[in-house]
Amino acid sequence: MSTSGPTPPGAPQVRSLNCPGCGAAITLRSLSQAVTVVCDHCHSILDAQDPGLTILQKFKAAVDEDLPLIPLGTRGKIRGTDYEAVGFQRRTIRVDGIPYSWHEYVLFNPYKGFRYLTEYNGHWNDTSILRSLPTINSDASPPTVSYLGETYKHFQTATAGTGFVLGEFPWQVRVGESSDVSEYISPPRVISSERTGKEITWSMGEYISGRDVWKAFGLQGNPPESVGVYENQPSPLSTDTTTIWIVFAGLMIVLLLILIGVASSARNEQVFEENYAFNTNARGEASFVTDVFELKGRTSDLVLKTTSGVNNNWLYLNYALINQDTGQAYDFGREVSYYHGYDEDGSWSEGSVEDSVAVPNVPPGKYYLRVEPESDVGHGTIYYSIAARRDVPQMSFFGLAILALLLPAGLITWRSINFEHLRWAESDYGSTGSDDDDSDDAGRPMSLGNLFDQGIDE
Amino acid sequence: MIRSLYILYGVIVLGTLAVAEYRGWSLNSVNEVKNVPRSVRDNPGSYRSIYSSYHHYTGGK
Repeated sequence: MSTSGPTPPGAPQVRSLNCPGCGAAITLRSLSQAVTVVCDHCHSILDAQDPGLTILQKFKAAVDEDLPLIPLGTRGKIRGTDYEAVGFQRRTIRVDGIPYSWHEYVLFNPYKGFRYLTEYNGHWNDTSILRSLPTINSDASPPTVSYLGETYKHFQTATAGTGFVLGEFPWQVRVGESSDVSEYISPPRVISSERTGKEITWSMGEYISGRDVWKAFGLQGNPPESVGVYENQPSPLSTDTTTIWIVFAGLMIVLLLILIGVASSARNEQVFEENYAFNTNARGEASFVTDVFELKGRTSDLVLKTTSGVNNNWLYLNYALINQDTGQAYDFGREVSYYHGYDEDGSWSEGSVEDSVAVPNVPPGKYYLRVEPESDVGHGTIYYSIAARRDVPQMSFFGLAILALLLPAGLITWRSINFEHLRWAESDYGSTGSDDDDSDDAGRPMSLGNLFDQGIDE
Repeated sequence: MIRSLYILYGVIVLGTLAVAEYRGWSLNSVNEVKNVPRSVRDNPGSYRSIYSSYHHYTGGK
């Protein structure tokens, strides 16, 4: 692609000619702007500037070797301006003998001139020629270019060759010609430099979805599904992960304030404490009720702590916290068991002599506990104590909240890192090379081997 | 978009946390029983806990 300079305004016209090679009709849509035009019947590349349409090159290709997804002559609206698809080319690089091809569409508007659409594996770019040079910083690692205050990182450099052409081109297109292409990215934009001989052309592309292309040109059906991650494809996680972590930090501050508020406002009041003894040898009813104690304040939790002197033994307590006035009861059971010993692996222990339970949503009122202890018969007397505290902050909720806030932030970060990893894996700086499975490769390969095996007649 | 969703999600999480702490929620589950007769205070054995048939661990290593 080469610069053609500003396009003088003119009314859209179409000129019909005949190919000097095969006599087929040729339509010139960009008129004097076209430098070369391709006969789609005999694949002669003709000099569009010459009234006689001198044949510049012939190349061998099947008529339907590569059909444009946007048929030439189709008109569409790009950024509010009507453009007509006038040219189409396939460009290819080879890596380890494997060709990687993408397509470029030449679009023309008589007032705005040319712009281009590129497509690779379902990824599209809306590209136009830069009118001023970007600033190159080759000392950076990777090298960068700056344009209009934005910095673009070097992605890859490769030699690209033209393998198939159709329609009109505002430059001297040839099948088999090659150019060194360097690409610098700042998603969703990419700046490309193409060196052909001593001429360097700079262009800027912006990622555009296939769906938008289809909509712009009113194409039937659906665009091809995009495969993999393309070099300037914007991350679906549009928000910078740094922003997410800043939000996370803000939420942690709020959580800390809630913690301080809860800790300072909670009653955390001991409302009951008593010591008991349970004779496991005794027969008869073991259940009993405690004295009545009052729970004040709003509806809140009640933490019941059981401490027992069990030693290689267990004590199970059927609890019922009963509201003396309403008959509302909270029924639950708790076990205190502690075992320890010594074996070939050394000393061991399991269980605890303490147990704690938080009874949720207990309204204020006068309550008593109905307690029914159980244990194995014949263990003598088990001593235990029961203590109750009212309105105790539940630290487990703070832990769960931190986890709940951390998980999405971590997931977003992981996905973002993974997306960028896939993007840069296909660059000159990627950790994965061409030996990898290329089934989901979306970026262009890093270097070029031999180009084309096209039969070309100059 | 993601940031806004995350902020909204964070507000919901912290709001739920504040409500849970204020209302005294707990991760422990208890069985609520209504209309326990007053006679339980005089005759504790008349109350039948649903946990009385709980299978107790009697092991150790």
